[in-house]
Amino acid sequence: MKPLNRREVLRGMLGGAAVSVGLPPLEAMFNCSGTAYAAGGGLPTRFGLFFWGNGNLPERWTPSGTGADWTLSDQLAPLAAVKDKITVVSGMSLHTDNVYPHSSGAAGVLTGSNLLSYQDGREDGTFSRPSIDQLIAAEIGGDTIYRSLETGAMPGTVGHSFNGPNNKNPPELSPLAFYERIFGASFRVPGEDGLVDPRLALRRSVLDAVMGDISNLSARVGTADRLRLDQHFTGVRELELRLARLQEDPPNLDACFQPTSPADGFPDVEGRPQISEIHRAMSDLAVMALACDQTRVFSHWFSDPLTNQLYPQATMGHHSLTHDEPGEQPEVNMVTTFIMGELAYMIEKFSEIEEGDETLLDHMVLLATSECSRGQTHAFDEMPLVLAGGANGRLATGLHHRSFTGENVSHLMLTLLRAVGINAASYGVDAGEVFDGLSAIEL
Amino acid sequence: MVKPTFLILNLLLGCGGETDPKKAESGLKRTLPPLSLPSPALRRLNRAQYDSAITSLLGEGLILPSKLEPDVSADGLQAIGAALTTISPRGVEQYEDAAFDLVNQALNENRSELIDCEPERSVDEACASASLSAFAARAWRRPVTDDERSNLVAISTQAATVLDDFDAGLGYGFAAILQSPHFLFRVELGEDGTDGGVRHFTNHEMASRLSFLLWNTIPDRALLAAADAGDLTTDTGLKAQSDRMMDDPRFEHGVRAFFSDMWMLYALDDLTKDPTLFTHMSPTVGASAREETLLGVVQNVVHDDGDYREIFTTTRTFLDRKLASIYAVRAPSREGFAETMLSPDGGRRGFLGQVSFLALQSHAVSSSATLRGKFVREVVLCDYIPPPPAGLNTAIPEVDADAVTLRERVAVHLEDEYCASCHLQMDPIGLGFEQFDGLGHFRRLDHGAEIDPSGELDGEGFNDAWGLSAHVAAHPDLSPCLTQTLVAYASGHSVTRGEDAMVEYLTTGFEYMDHSTRFLFSDLVMSPAFRLAGALE
Repeated sequence: MKPLNRREVLRGMLGGAAVSVGLPPLEAMFNCSGTAYAAGGGLPTRFGLFFWGNGNLPERWTPSGTGADWTLSDQLAPLAAVKDKITVVSGMSLHTDNVYPHSSGAAGVLTGSNLLSYQDGREDGTFSRPSIDQLIAAEIGGDTIYRSLETGAMPGTVGHSFNGPNNKNPPELSPLAFYERIFGASFRVPGEDGLVDPRLALRRSVLDAVMGDISNLSARVGTADRLRLDQHFTGVRELELRLARLQEDPPNLDACFQPTSPADGFPDVEGRPQISEIHRAMSDLAVMALACDQTRVFSHWFSDPLTNQLYPQATMGHHSLTHDEPGEQPEVNMVTTFIMGELAYMIEKFSEIEEGDETLLDHMVLLATSECSRGQTHAFDEMPLVLAGGANGRLATGLHHRSFTGENVSHLMLTLLRAVGINAASYGVDAGEVFDGLSAIEL
Repeated sequence: MVKPTFLILNLLLGCGGETDPKKAESGLKRTLPPLSLPSPALRRLNRAQYDSAITSLLGEGLILPSKLEPDVSADGLQAIGAALTTISPRGVEQYEDAAFDLVNQALNENRSELIDCEPERSVDEACASASLSAFAARAWRRPVTDDERSNLVAISTQAATVLDDFDAGLGYGFAAILQSPHFLFRVELGEDGTDGGVRHFTNHEMASRLSFLLWNTIPDRALLAAADAGDLTTDTGLKAQSDRMMDDPRFEHGVRAFFSDMWMLYALDDLTKDPTLFTHMSPTVGASAREETLLGVVQNVVHDDGDYREIFTTTRTFLDRKLASIYAVRAPSREGFAETMLSPDGGRRGFLGQVSFLALQSHAVSSSATLRGKFVREVVLCDYIPPPPAGLNTAIPEVDADAVTLRERVAVHLEDEYCASCHLQMDPIGLGFEQFDGLGHFRRLDHGAEIDPSGELDGEGFNDAWGLSAHVAAHPDLSPCLTQTLVAYASGHSVTRGEDAMVEYLTTGFEYMDHSTRFLFSDLVMSPAFRLAGALE
């Protein structure tokens, strides 16, 4: 029997009688990425965020030497294998308000603006603006199946990827669930001549109806609710677009293959989660999700601000350690160094994916940061900032750039926006706002 | 601020479980204050509400989704977070997965609950229309409009045609209903009345409000019928339904949901303790601890119609074997939970003597006077403690010869004038619980030194946690705090200054009616705070 071409009318695929499903007239929108690959016009620049909670110890973090001639510090030592692929930026500060320990810093570093507290200056609140990953996703995330992907390594992690106020993208914490989402039943191996499931079109009709309901309801509510419904609408529209894409051929990328399924569950060992194992399983999947161009933006929440997780060999939770460990805080140092080891794993995995004559890492930029430097004082100076990847030749690597004047971290963020191809004039709000990038690391 | 408390204490200690006949509400003298009403806001169904609504709509025995948009707490309550947050793109994806999965399960397992007609062919619009209308009216807590009905029928007809299967086609209509904002959000917007600026919740909105508050799920058929009949915007009709609902076993779900949210008992799912230090720790301790607290609350509020203050002073509790081992008492039952009375020897009584509070408001490796004190201050008494200033070195000294116990080590909080301004409001309370370790196990020694659990709460001295619990129970801020939290919970917004008078009005009734939480629920439901809203903004 001649295999059905998916562009032909599908007959009787699910029912007994003849059924016919026309493909939706959406092909035009997919040609952009397909054409880009076919013409060899350069692979798109991808963005990643690696965030960990509770900061570092600046005196054991800052590398010695600056420019291209520098030596890794104690805490950065695990990054030795990828030293020429990273740039460490030290000495920069958050210029936003430091009012609420940890949450102000997270808002400051990820949005360049102040935390919006819920009431009467209470401690909890929301980001007032999209986090950097979503600023970027809004510009470059539109051509892939997923606008962005969010993952976490620590049980209970909530992440801080914000689409806007009170609208957070919750990270996936189970490697198996993440695998099934990206590489499960809906995943089509590039180049395989698959059939289009007629149910995709039916699901899209349902989503159309949901969007209609949202629009009608939106006309009846107050301003704040209208914004919330707009965001809900956006989410539904994105899912509809994703289903439309699944009706098209996936891009044929050499580096893309369907990875093997991770373990089903990572049980605690002696009361402590298997942080490293979970993180590495997530990293492998995130790397392949980018290699398969399922998304061009991801954020990995290694741990949340304020996390009090018990790390391997630590005698107290991480947050307690930063405040209560006396002296030079050897355990805080151990935990930070451990986290950098896990960061190194992820960077190395990206560097192993070949894309043309270079690697995926060369075609992306990964930002690793935290909500403060010294956790004990929730310090905003000496912010920990590590970049990995050359962003398609837009960023210098193998550098230690030191700011001797406590410059605003927002300068670096503006450089990152520009590195992924966004023509941004400024970054941040009020004290966090800047109009210039960090030219020292730009190429 | 602080009133003499002996009378109340005597009353509490003397009543020994016997409940006096309730006072007549008719003796209650108070005047309704001028109204200050919050604008209506959509509220997202939380996880528990989604699950209970699904069970109510699709029948028992389904495998419920493990992943949905997470609940988010704002200003201390998930109920407030539900009125501020929206549905993320990831959430949309999860709700879509869940809708199809649940509908497919239900069509296999409980078909007769969803389809009350026999389709003639794969496409049967009349049968589809009847099934979809009935389902949508329950899921959306209101009658469906003609437009809505025809949209749903069109979806199902298209799908039934493509798939050549009536049931499968109908499944797409059901899935659309479950992804609609009318299901995922509580749409309670009110209508403009004749009294300018004030909005009146409609009958069907009142049904939804009552049901989520009192049962934590969607309305049953009787409540929807009362709304259809227009009863829920009349005093007598509303009272009749709220009485019926509070006499129904499902009232327990509403009470559990409120106390879980107020006391953050949901966080017990992620309880982390170093098992090498806490040998009683196991993955089920958190869930057991929550159950102990909620069984006690349900006993007090639902079964006994008791005095709220007794939740803090009672020696009656409900333990399983795990908790009994932590409390070092004989397990009252081989399996599950059973009632038992604690002896006064250990200083342990009431909610503040339970693992749910003691372990949750502690660190992974130790107790915390500050966290425990902060919880009592902010959550139980509704005081406000500002966050520690940024840039401050918050370290407490390690154990040495001069400072062994936590009290000695945190003394720095109280000696340093800068720290003391806030820590004096928390640490002296928390230190009263120091005879309970980070998991809630009783101890007399900390690092080998005798623990001194004495202290004072707003001028009232105590010797240990036993006495401290009595002072919390008698504290003048206890009742207004419960009232304020319930108002915030029921309406999904942070109570503002303008609403103080309404909180006071309800507190007056609550206190007059012997601190009956059940009365407070009923009183709130009948009050304008529950039936009216401010203008749309």
